[in-house]
Amino acid sequence: MKNISNEVLKKIKDNNIKPKPRWYFITKNYFIWLIFGISIILGSFAFSMILFIIKQLDWDIYHYIGESFLKTVFISLPYLWLIFLILFIGVAYYNFIHTKRGYRFKFISILLISLIISVTLGTVLYSNGLSENLGNIFFEKIPYYNRLVYTCEKQWMRPERGLLAGTIIEIGLPENSFILRDLDNNRWKIEASKVIWKGKITPATGLKIKLIGKLINDNNFKAMEIRPWQQGQRRFIMEGNR
Amino acid sequence: MITGSECINKTDEQIVALTLKNQDYYLCLMKRYEVKLLNYILKISNTSREDAEDVLQEVFVKAYQNLNDFDLNFKFSNWIYSIAHNTTISAFRKKKVRPQTVSWEDKDLDNILKSTLDVENASLQKLTYKHILKMINQLPLKYKDVLILKFVEGKDYQEISDILHKPMGTVATLINRAKKSLKQELEKEDIKL
Repeated sequence: MKNISNEVLKKIKDNNIKPKPRWYFITKNYFIWLIFGISIILGSFAFSMILFIIKQLDWDIYHYIGESFLKTVFISLPYLWLIFLILFIGVAYYNFIHTKRGYRFKFISILLISLIISVTLGTVLYSNGLSENLGNIFFEKIPYYNRLVYTCEKQWMRPERGLLAGTIIEIGLPENSFILRDLDNNRWKIEASKVIWKGKITPATGLKIKLIGKLINDNNFKAMEIRPWQQGQRRFIMEGNR
Repeated sequence: MITGSECINKTDEQIVALTLKNQDYYLCLMKRYEVKLLNYILKISNTSREDAEDVLQEVFVKAYQNLNDFDLNFKFSNWIYSIAHNTTISAFRKKKVRPQTVSWEDKDLDNILKSTLDVENASLQKLTYKHILKMINQLPLKYKDVLILKFVEGKDYQEISDILHKPMGTVATLINRAKKSLKQELEKEDIKL
């Protein structure tokens, strides 16, 4: 057997090999924790966006339009933000297992801890209205963003399936009819003689509403139920005012 | 030059601290682990002695370069075994080695067999030992590795966890699966102790 130890010591001396400085490892360790923290925060943002999108949708209308609940869920899930959430949780996991003691934890434990932190923080961000503001910014500033997420707008602007949304612009027509400007700026005459008004609202110009009913022809819609816009649908309120 | 007697009463961790001030102390650490690590590398890689010695040199250099990363809350032996494990795996992944017949001591094989077959004594003919060794070498590396660390190197679950960087639960599962896999092979060949 060669005298390996002596050979290695000679090599260390001859090549002037030095131990890497302590600060290098400390910085590396802090960097790993930093990336872990950033991933968790970004995961929280993603979760708050998921919550915002889910909460602004109406989940009880599937039976009005003859779709199954599962199909509605399948269509409506915010896949873009779900992918981001999974991605950030993945990055958080990868960094956590590369911390000094990270490997001692089970995959499922790290995953659950990361998810719980992201969900909790994401709920706080949602409650503070941050996801709503961010959502509105994304809609306005990021091209094609509205194509990537299923919005309240997509859900309600389906007159052929009996769903319509917009702002009342004229009232006082015969048989309780009124004129509505929908979210795409089209004018509709709404027949509302046998309508159920939900959410303690009365017809007034400038009121933003969602309608369930039946398409009569290109510009006529027979309403059966009318709902107000809810909190978290500010974007539509802004658009409705245009 | 540091002599062996200067290190004899010192712990690994004390010698690490001394090495950071005077590199000659590193010789003591290398001497302590030279044989153990070479055997470990030989067993998990199943390669030639020359190749294993090259890997061991690389292990010692890497360990020296990363000495400031060694955390006193861990055992030095686990830390250097971990470097040896990773270096061996990456070295032999890079160049596909031709399997060699690495000799094992009978007692090492006995330890594995006793645990696998749950018997008190294992005493077999030389030819059978050779045959069993071939079986162990044919096991997937992850199984062979834990069997070697547990029954040849005598490491406990926490130590294996620190060496392989896997949770203790995973280590326990791997050991059980490795034993089961070897037991199945032994039964297939109708080997009884």
